[in-house]
Amino acid sequence: MADILDILELEQPSAEISRDSIIHGDKVKKKYVTAKAVKRPEGMHREVFALLYHDNKDLPPLLPTDTGKAYKQTKAKLGMRKVRKWVWAPFTNPARKDNAVFHHWKRASDEAKEYPFAQFNKQVAIPSYSESEYNQYLKSEDWSQAETDHLIDLCQRFDLRFIVIHDRWDRAAFRDRSVEDLKERYYGICTTLSKVKTNPWSNTVTMVNGEKRIYHYDAEHERKRKEQLRRLFDRTQEQIDEEQMLLAELKKIDARKRERERKTQDLQKLISRADSGNLPPISQVNNNNEGTSTPSNTASSIARRHDRKLHKKKITTQQRPVRAVESVTVEWSGIKFPEARGTGVWLRSQRMKLPAGVGQRKTKAIEQELRLMNIDIAPTPTEAICKHFNELRSDLALALDLKNALDSCEFELQALRHQYEALNPGKTLTIPPSICNMVGDNETKPVSEIIDVVGSPSALNSTI
Amino acid sequence: MSLQTDFGPDSGGRVKGLVIVKPIIYGNIARYFGKKREEDGHTHQWTVYVKPYANEDMSAYIKKVHFKLHESYANPNRIIAKPPYELTETGWGEFEIVIKIYFHDPNERPVTLYHILKLFQSPVTEGGAPPVVGRALVSESYEEIVFQEPTQLMQHLLNSVKPVSSGSWNHDTDFEEKKEATLKKILAAQSKVRNEISELKEKLHLAKETISKFKDEIAKIQNCPAGCGIPGV
Repeated sequence: MADILDILELEQPSAEISRDSIIHGDKVKKKYVTAKAVKRPEGMHREVFALLYHDNKDLPPLLPTDTGKAYKQTKAKLGMRKVRKWVWAPFTNPARKDNAVFHHWKRASDEAKEYPFAQFNKQVAIPSYSESEYNQYLKSEDWSQAETDHLIDLCQRFDLRFIVIHDRWDRAAFRDRSVEDLKERYYGICTTLSKVKTNPWSNTVTMVNGEKRIYHYDAEHERKRKEQLRRLFDRTQEQIDEEQMLLAELKKIDARKRERERKTQDLQKLISRADSGNLPPISQVNNNNEGTSTPSNTASSIARRHDRKLHKKKITTQQRPVRAVESVTVEWSGIKFPEARGTGVWLRSQRMKLPAGVGQRKTKAIEQELRLMNIDIAPTPTEAICKHFNELRSDLALALDLKNALDSCEFELQALRHQYEALNPGKTLTIPPSICNMVGDNETKPVSEIIDVVGSPSALNSTI
Repeated sequence: MSLQTDFGPDSGGRVKGLVIVKPIIYGNIARYFGKKREEDGHTHQWTVYVKPYANEDMSAYIKKVHFKLHESYANPNRIIAKPPYELTETGWGEFEIVIKIYFHDPNERPVTLYHILKLFQSPVTEGGAPPVVGRALVSESYEEIVFQEPTQLMQHLLNSVKPVSSGSWNHDTDFEEKKEATLKKILAAQSKVRNEISELKEKLHLAKETISKFKDEIAKIQNCPAGCGIPGV
């Protein structure tokens, strides 16, 4: 407010309460007169000069001179009302039964009032029962009446602080009970009593819309929960580390699994597209899969790895029908060249540009194949050449995809064979030689070499 | 197709279903001076051109041809409005020339060709006529301008082309022969690749079946780990 008045250059109302008017009281505000500045001698540093001369032109003091008038002022005036009196007075707490007297500061005007914090001393209502009631409803094989009485007594004394109750439990007279046991018994009693008689004191019953609400204590759950917490707390650092490690591993496995699923799907897509009806449908193979994988699925103790495979298989089988429909309708080619545009002028050679969707690697591979077949990568653009050239490149792309797919299949076969060999030592599975492109060669070679070795000595013998 | 005569210059109506193809040849010839020219270091004289593949006057439908030269040339944008659409220059280096062909009907957008000016004989000649010693070097390409559903004006212009000369119309490169050879090669390659594809498909099917067979075997073993039954393949 004062700032705004300053800015607007308005006269400040004198009645305004500010820090100044409080401290200096009624004294007239001193007008600050700017003293004539002593000129700083040439060459003297500003800091040095500042030590010698202040704004008020005084020489710097040699002794601390904190003799400002602020502390000698009349008392600060805070607020407009008169100060109310505080007195050091004794009081009794009605919540206490021992009539102990303590002292505290309180306003003189509040003399008659009761100790205000007494109201927070809430009493827990503990249900009570008569002998006959106990015999009728509360009899328990596990709990004797004396023990139950002891429990209720402790509940009363310690306001249902079960940890304390457990601590003070009379272990000499009764057997040791867990906190859960105590709670279970106590809340059991409450529930039973609230059913058989309207017990207005029981804290376990609250009336909501005229309906009784009973606190149900699930001892079994509590025990389990505490056990879990205990175990969690009792883990050693090694166990924690191992758990972290396992979690990280699980993440990796999941990622790999997703990757493989994606690859299988791609492969399936490729196959169904490549088929486009000229080969028998693969559903036959698929049925085989399903038939054998489901019983093995029920076996509980299957290695996780195998489990994963089954899962993968299931996914692919689920998606098969959709694709089967697709494969009939969609004429798929390796590369989809854009359709002829609507109207206008264009150059024939533009038709031969590979669409942007074809990756650089594939483009390079196609060009490499073309070069191997001695075909110009930009042939003379007539309509027929354009058409066939595009078809050729599309076929090349498809062939490359199929080759890759075959390679990955072969890899999988090898992996499966190793798995089989590990499970069933001494036995092996034979991969049909026609599938093997590169690895197959390596495997058939030794055989032919052996034959050669066998054959050559005999040949030698015959000649000699 | 009846020729409509009531078209105006702004006739934007297109002739449905009509496609007119105009084959052209574009490229350059270059001749070596024999030595480096003293004053500017140029070594070659070259001519870049666009000409019809058939014996016809392209000015009937082409308004102008724009040759964009390398920026080191004085006013690199050269516009030729009348046939022959060619441009002769001297220089010492090869660069890409952008050739833009404009048509009389502004509704038809111009087409752009890219030609790498060729001055030096490359060691390996790609098909076509082998260079003759003492003759100019020729580097030219075949292209087809496709008018898809041309405007009525354009259709009229395209159909009313006249031959350029009464004599024979020849090119340095025998594109007919080249077309035929290329097509043959491509078709041969195509059938080869198709065979390969069907082979690969069969292999892939076999592989898939084998994979499932292997998986079954593994599942069998895992279901009875005690070695019950003999897994036979």
